[in-house]
Amino acid sequence: MTGGRDDTMNLELAQINTLPAPTWFRLAMNDTKLSGGIPEIHPYQGDYLSTELPRNVEILTEPFSAPELSTGMGGEAEKFTQDHRTCGVTVRVPDGVKADKPIFLSFRVDEENPSVLDVHNVIAGEGSEVTVVMSYTSPADFSGFHGGMTRLYAAKNAVIRLIQVQLLGDGCVHYDNVGAQCGENGTVTVIQAELGGKSALAGLKADLQGRKSQLNLDTIYFGDRSRSIDINYVAHHAGSASHSEIHASGALLDESRKTFRGTIDFLKGAKRAVGHESEYSLLFSPKVVNRSAPLILCAEEDVEGQHAASAGKIDANRMFYLMSRGLSELEARKLLIEAQFRPVTDRIPDPALRDAVLNYVKERLEAIEPVSE
Amino acid sequence: MNALHKTKTQVEEIDRTVYDIRDKVNSPYQVGQGLTVKIVNEISAKKNDPEWMHQFRLKSLQVYHRLQLPGWGPSLDELDMNEIVTYIRPNTGMKGKWSQVPDDIKNTFERLGIPQAERKSLAGVGAQYDSEIVYHNVREEVRRQGVVYTDMESAVHDPKYGPMVKEHFMRLVPPEDHKFAALHGAVWSGGSFVYVPPYVNVEIPLQSYFRLNAPGAGQFEHTLIIVSEGASLHFIEGCSAPKYNVANLHAGCVELFVGKNARLRYSTIENWSKNMFNLNTKRALVEEGGTIEWVSGSFGSHISELYPMSILKGEGARMEFTGITFAGKGQSLDTGAKVVHAAPHTYSNINTKSISKDGGCCTYRSAVSILPKAYGCKSSVSCESLMLDDRSRSDTIPAMDIRNDDVDVGHEAKIGRISDDAIFYLMSRGISEEDAKAMIVTGFADPVAKELPVEYAVEMNNLIKLEMEGSIG
Repeated sequence: MTGGRDDTMNLELAQINTLPAPTWFRLAMNDTKLSGGIPEIHPYQGDYLSTELPRNVEILTEPFSAPELSTGMGGEAEKFTQDHRTCGVTVRVPDGVKADKPIFLSFRVDEENPSVLDVHNVIAGEGSEVTVVMSYTSPADFSGFHGGMTRLYAAKNAVIRLIQVQLLGDGCVHYDNVGAQCGENGTVTVIQAELGGKSALAGLKADLQGRKSQLNLDTIYFGDRSRSIDINYVAHHAGSASHSEIHASGALLDESRKTFRGTIDFLKGAKRAVGHESEYSLLFSPKVVNRSAPLILCAEEDVEGQHAASAGKIDANRMFYLMSRGLSELEARKLLIEAQFRPVTDRIPDPALRDAVLNYVKERLEAIEPVSE
Repeated sequence: MNALHKTKTQVEEIDRTVYDIRDKVNSPYQVGQGLTVKIVNEISAKKNDPEWMHQFRLKSLQVYHRLQLPGWGPSLDELDMNEIVTYIRPNTGMKGKWSQVPDDIKNTFERLGIPQAERKSLAGVGAQYDSEIVYHNVREEVRRQGVVYTDMESAVHDPKYGPMVKEHFMRLVPPEDHKFAALHGAVWSGGSFVYVPPYVNVEIPLQSYFRLNAPGAGQFEHTLIIVSEGASLHFIEGCSAPKYNVANLHAGCVELFVGKNARLRYSTIENWSKNMFNLNTKRALVEEGGTIEWVSGSFGSHISELYPMSILKGEGARMEFTGITFAGKGQSLDTGAKVVHAAPHTYSNINTKSISKDGGCCTYRSAVSILPKAYGCKSSVSCESLMLDDRSRSDTIPAMDIRNDDVDVGHEAKIGRISDDAIFYLMSRGISEEDAKAMIVTGFADPVAKELPVEYAVEMNNLIKLEMEGSIG
């Protein structure tokens, strides 16, 4: 992981992305760990904050002591990121302010910043709205490290949109750890695109405390070569009529591995709460490892919870339809994968970043070998 | 509707009169409480084990002491093995006629309807009372087909089938599998051995019924079924016990070997008393083109951990699991299924329903594994959970582990309560709220009921009605 540098430190996260209710240990899905040497850590060199910022929104770059909030990856990852913070912002949106443009945070993991540990807080006051877009890139073969933590506080009637795009090179280790808290009618919408890295971990825990609070989470993941992807999402329904939508879709190629954990947790008192969760995995290689644990935990009668997961090859009927219209099998496959990602990528507000994501996926799809049967 | 909900009352306990009648404990011999080498040696000597079995028991005991309790699932803190009596011999040997069975034991089984069912609709019956089989019989025409249905002890000592038992015993569920498998290996007693020769179709079911009468006792029966190539069998298992204030333990083990193109249906209606820890292990190995069908109804016990597992070893093997779990007051029933697709073109279908009521907790837990070379496999899982009040709990904990791309795997789960609209619809047609709810729950359970022989479907529906009775005031 170190890229041959002298100044390295040891990363040892023994228990992260923990499933809220454990299952058989021999499945090895209850949690994961992350360990190894990471490159030297120093304050981030260069600018990562967009120059055009929304009006009437306060943005601080110094460390900020945010209220306690648990995250998807858990306490160990929170502490490590906080203790080794290299950069990050705290965004405060006053009551009633609707930010007129997104806040873009662009991080580059490279020789100058081989380890990036960014800690962000987004505090949206009552009735406010804000969009924050984070992107992480690196040179294609750079061996770096990124560990991020973002805490989202949506007060009554507030809306926070968080878009995180990870396009790191194949040598990078990466994690994105999110915690969210929603007051009455508060909404947190998160889009995560986990597309690169040697090892990519993501965690999100949303505490839906307020009545009619809402989490919308859409994730796309892409695994190729020997990438390992490990995801843990938890929607914690405490508020009545709270609503969560967790939807993930991805493609796995080569020898990639993915573990997806998604939990909808209805606490007692969360009357009329609704939670929907889905995961759709397209598999393209006999050597992939695709693991899923979609949980519903329920201590309240008056709720509606649903989850669905499916995994397999692209549907033969859809392939046939496209091929009967003149596309080769490879072209049809690429088109269908792109179509699967498109509903999520279309919601990235920056056209340049959106194109970067689509181009990244297209380039990676070029590697799919035509199937000879 | 809201006004009606506010007047809701709950019954404390279902009427389990039939199951709860306790016989006076009249055992000529039982071991002391707890689990020691001395006790295991004692059981082995009393059962006149062959040396290999004696050694197997001692090895299992070592494994038991080495393994930890599971770190997942319901808490087993209330279970103290030092207070469990692992072997209680009933005051009779095994009989081939009900008239030879002592009256107190015979009366119990008559109340449970076993002799009547045997006369009407079964090809053979085994009845276990505490640690030993007290009755075993198989119809002559089935015996003439070459079908062997006997108690495990007889099979262990049989010159013809003893080697078969030795070859298969705890091969699918090794003692190292988990702590209660090891416990079973050390103190197992009773259970049935079934062998169906190649291409023999047993047209009517065989049934074993397990009754645990003594308080503070454990039941550890072993069921070993071998269905040979092209053969078919339906085996039914029933179990019950009267309620006591001390913990009872059931740690049985079921091993099923389904041959090439063979078919086995294994149906269970479990209605243990609500002081029972039901930590049972069931596993099937299915060869090429074979089919295992599990039908499982879990109604009783204080705590259950039960996940029948199917290993689809041969190409084209299939498994189907249909299960229902109903947890009421004081119950935590952690049930589900496991399947390993170990060969190409294997198919699994898991369909479960669970109902939680009166503070009961249902957990659906499953694992679907598709191994790297098991291409062309299909797996479909569907689980639905119904919450009948806000004091209960229902969790769904599935896992999928897929190791190749040529698969079609689907999973879906739903959780919720009975729709007000459905109750309103039925009530607007003159049905009381209580009946409407019972009808909806019975309808919810129907996919399981229709998989059972009619007598058992009726028993299951009666259990549901009993559970639902008086739930609306």
